[in-house]
Formats: sequence, structure tokens, C-alpha cells
Amino acid sequence: MRFLEQLGLYIILLKKVFSKPEKAAIYYKQTMHELVFLGFNSVGIISVISFFMGSAITLQTAYNTENPIYPLYLIGLGCRDSIILEFSSTISALILAGKVGSNIASEIGTMRITEQIDALEIMGVNSASYIILPKIIATLIFNPILTLISIIIGIIGGGMAGTMAGVITLQDFIYGIQYAFIPYYITYSIIKTLFFAFIITTVSAFQGYYVNGGSLEVGRASTKAVVHSSILILIFNVILTQLLLS
Amino acid sequence: MIRVKNIDKSFSGKMVLENVSVTFEPGKTNLIIGRSGSGKTVLLKSIVGLHNIDSGEIWFEDVLFNKLNFTEKKEIRKQMGMLFQGSALFDSMTTEQNVRFPLDMFTNQSMEEKIERVNFCLKRVAIINANKLFPAELSGGMKKRVAIARAIALNPKYLFCDEPNSGLDPITAILIDELIKEITDEYSMTTIVNTHDMNSVMEIGEKVVFINEGKICWEGSNNEILKSDNEILNDFVFANALAKQLRSSQL
Repeated sequence: MRFLEQLGLYIILLKKVFSKPEKAAIYYKQTMHELVFLGFNSVGIISVISFFMGSAITLQTAYNTENPIYPLYLIGLGCRDSIILEFSSTISALILAGKVGSNIASEIGTMRITEQIDALEIMGVNSASYIILPKIIATLIFNPILTLISIIIGIIGGGMAGTMAGVITLQDFIYGIQYAFIPYYITYSIIKTLFFAFIITTVSAFQGYYVNGGSLEVGRASTKAVVHSSILILIFNVILTQLLLS
Repeated sequence: MIRVKNIDKSFSGKMVLENVSVTFEPGKTNLIIGRSGSGKTVLLKSIVGLHNIDSGEIWFEDVLFNKLNFTEKKEIRKQMGMLFQGSALFDSMTTEQNVRFPLDMFTNQSMEEKIERVNFCLKRVAIINANKLFPAELSGGMKKRVAIARAIALNPKYLFCDEPNSGLDPITAILIDELIKEITDEYSMTTIVNTHDMNSVMEIGEKVVFINEGKICWEGSNNEILKSDNEILNDFVFANALAKQLRSSQL
């Protein structure tokens, strides 16, 4: 019952979010701000995580395929496909659910408890649309870019770790990452990222928008935003994989 | 003029407002007073449409406000200004951006015109050289004044103030009261102030509505309040020792 009530509120919120904006110029400005705040500011953490993720994947592939039958370039191929298919989209989304999701929930939750949302409503501004829509647009634009950055840096990290550890030569690694490359995997990864970006932003915004109480509730909403987004990301990961790769 | 007719409001089955009817007159500072938890804020938020009432009518002039949809309410809301208890300034915006926000949103003025209006409003509330400061850098009294400047930016017809003096020292509180009264007179607004501060009542209460346990208990002016024989009202008005002494000497 509680789940249905929450789902209903979520749908009502989305309806409010996607209604006609009051003034396009203001929304454009807000979107630019969110692109920097939610997108550009996440480049650092995504880069660091992707680099070490790529390194670990390469080393694990190398140590688990120590067999003369397997050609060495398979390490590069394994690293590339793991990063493109799963790590850069799903793991990055889980990281962003923690960073961006908690940020969105606490920002909107604080606006709620300090009556800033009421102030917007009193002025005749559609608060849900004004606050949430620019965040959705910004993450839908920037998260695919983050995924591409993650793929590139992950593969660079894999190449560097592999060659520095002496498990593969640079030539073999480069041959491996070019071998039997399927461009559709990139499309698949981007499609997943778009879904995940929407989940992170709307679920976190939902948690923040309906906060009732004080700072303790804002903290709880922030935690719920991360947990719920992460679970939904994992569920949709399975569904999208089945739909897009079967 | 704002007319409230027989409104009821409950939360999770608990009645907070019961059959409340009251008229707030234009060009006057109307005060809603009462103890904490008496239903003052719920009444104010119901009037402005932040709470949906269970039953009854809320009229802004000859428009039945509570039956309008969001888009229709927008037109009335553009004529409203509200000062919230905690000021509700937008944290991410400077003082200037906060006051400019309604102008950005609802007018097609040039940036020069908007800045001119912002400076006029800030000067009107005696805020000088604070245009580029963020809310976190302002004192409590300054925040309230900036919030008033934002509320009057669009020349509203109705001004709502929820506990404008909470958290302020007595001198700043009086300054804020005087400012609200001056602005009300200057623009002939219908102003409703929610307070439990008796200084405010005596300073600016042209019409005072006393609410107790969700019901209207007494109505009158600040001159009449001291002479009232309503016991519940007198318990509230003469709650502190000094007021009790004055009351007994008066009697």
C-alpha cells in the first residue's frame, strides 16, 4: 500500500516537473548551472575511479587467464568489453547515485524545510519544474559524456597497469582493445546511462521534495535517495541488458 | 479584501481549523494572534493556498481562490508577497538576485530596469551595500528586510507575514513591524501578519484576530484588546508578569 502511495506521488511529481516552463531563459540558465554543478564537478571522481577500475580489471583478467592457449591480446579485449558493457555505465551510475543523488536530495530537502519551495509556490512558480527539470536535463546531457570519459580513462588505466605489471605488452593490449570491436556496445552503454541518469535525478529529487520535518529527515531522505536509486539502477541494468543485448 | 468563510482543515484526522470565518480588510495591517500550535500558521498557509482546506471558501475580492487550478491561482499569486518565518531567501542567490527573482520570472523588463527596481526595494527596506552578499552573510534582521524587499518587488496587492519578528531582538522587531505598517499604508495593501508578539499587536494591529485551538475566539483592534473581557484572550495578552501588573493597576 505504502509503495503504491509513493509511486503515485512520484508520478504526480513527474507530471509537475514536465509541465510547461514559466520562462525558458531562466530554465536555460539553471540548466547551465546544473551542468557544471552536477556534471562537470563529477569528472574528477569518475576519472579516478575509472582509472583504478580499468587497472584492476586488466590485472584480474591477466591473472585468471594464465594459459598458453589464450592469446595475450584477450586481456585487452576483456578489459575493453567489461568497461564498456558494465563498469563505465553501471558502476559509474552507482557512484553518481552516491555523489549526485545525495546532493540533490539534501539540496531540495533543505529548500523544503527552510520554506524556499513554499516561497516559489507563493510567487506562482512551479517549484517542481523550476528546481528539478534543469537537473534532469543536465544529467541526461552530461552523464553520457561522463560514461565516455570513464570508458577512455578505464582503458588507459588498464593499459598502463598491464604494461607496468608486465602481464601484457602495449602492442598486445592495443591490438586487444581493437579486436572484434562492436560499436553497438557503446550505444548500449549510453542508453543505460540515460536511464540511470533519469533514475538518479528523479528518485533523489522525489525524496528531497517531499521531506517533512527537520535536518534529521533531510539526512534520511538523502540516504533513501542513494539506496533507492542504487536498487533501481541494478534492477534496470538487468532489464535493459535483456532488452538491448538479447 | 480577503474573506475566509467557514473553513475546516485537518491533518491525519486531527482538526486544526474549525469553522473559521474572518474578513481581512484592505489598506490595513491585519494580525492573527494566538498561542503556539493554535492554528495561526495553518490558517495563513491555507489562505495563500499552500495547504488545501477540507471545506469552506477563501475569497480574494470576488474570486473564489480555493477552487482555482494551479494556472488560475498563478494570476492571484503574482499579486501576493510573503514574508516567511525563516525568511526563505534562496541560499544560492545573492541579495540582489533574490529580490530580482520575481522580476526575472514574471516581467519582461530590461536588466537595467530590474536593477533599478531592486535597488529601490532594497533602499526602501534600508538595506544598503549588501547587493552582492549571500543570505548566509546577512544577520537575522537583514534577512527579514531582504525578504520584505523581495515580497514587494512586484508591487503586490496582498502581503502575508508569518511570524516576522521571530528570532529578532526587540528593537529590530519594532523596526520590522514599522516597516510592514509603512509599506501597507504606502501601497494600500491587504496585509495579514501572523504573530504571538504583543509588541506587534500594540504597534501595528489595526485589526486583530485571536485564534484559540483552531477557532476564532475574538476580533477587534489593538485599542480594544486591552479592554476585552474575554478570559482566554486576557490570559494570552497578559501572560507575562509586567503585563499582569499593568493590567491590575489598570483595573
